[in-house]
Amino acid sequence: MKDDEAKDDELTSIPRVDKIIHEPARFTIMAHLFVVESADFLFLQRQTGLTWGNLSSHISKLEAAGYVEVTKEFLDKKPHTTLQLTNKGRTAFQEYRQSMKQIFSKLPG
Amino acid sequence: MAERINLKEIERKAYTSYHQDGLIDISIAFIVLTFGIMIVLDMGWMGGVFAVVYISFYAAAKKTLTVPRIGFVKFAHYRAKAMQAMAIGVLSLMMLLGVVAFMQTEEGGTPSWLLFAIENYMLVIGVSVAASFCAAGYTFRTKRMYAYALPTLIMFVAGHFLYYPLHYYLILLGSLILLSGLAMLTRFIRKYPLSTSESTGDNRNEG
Repeated sequence: MKDDEAKDDELTSIPRVDKIIHEPARFTIMAHLFVVESADFLFLQRQTGLTWGNLSSHISKLEAAGYVEVTKEFLDKKPHTTLQLTNKGRTAFQEYRQSMKQIFSKLPG
Repeated sequence: MAERINLKEIERKAYTSYHQDGLIDISIAFIVLTFGIMIVLDMGWMGGVFAVVYISFYAAAKKTLTVPRIGFVKFAHYRAKAMQAMAIGVLSLMMLLGVVAFMQTEEGGTPSWLLFAIENYMLVIGVSVAASFCAAGYTFRTKRMYAYALPTLIMFVAGHFLYYPLHYYLILLGSLILLSGLAMLTRFIRKYPLSTSESTGDNRNEG
């Protein structure tokens, strides 16, 4: 009986996974920003292999969630966009990894 | 996906791709070549002066050639700390050796270990340069630095027995590294053509 309740608890934790990070492209962006201090748009595009439009759209969603800070500036009279994870984004990414590890470790087989 | 993700591997890939432009190799090659040429001109000390010039060259070339092609990234602080630690370690060791040599010379003639080092200077230089390449390879996680260490060691050990002047080996080593660096730079420029302003994301619409 107790085992059944425990399994139910494990299953109910799945919907609580952060859906913003769960999307593969956003997860890749978050992972790349997690391992560096900051990167510009072009570097992320080269590393992730995402198209400009795709990357732009996902970054906008991450920015809206408060996970990514977008800084726009002019370097040598050219516009330049720098991206970095916010503290909230860094914590959310770590929590996401932790929760996914827990879910997978509890699956049978 | 989170189960399979390897953050260390992502960081390593990002780091190596940022340094696959061959500029660090070209800068090292220029330093080695300059030392060789300056020794021919009997102005070996000038090599150190030029080393500062090449560091500036590296920074400028990175900004002009690499960043417009692959983008800009700031790596975590521990990377910079590792570089500083390596530089401080090497300088401290050199200073310590210098002080010990000075003190022992003052006390009573040239110490035996210094005489040994002077007599076998080719071996000492070869081992030191090869060790520096290995340390750089380990710190910067660039495997090609280990590849430079091996010919360096072979060349200088051979030089110990062949008795050709030091500048021959320096110029040969510098030329090898320069060729490798130029090949890497050419491949890098072909692989990453200059991006348009659109692809840098600077025109992106919010929302």
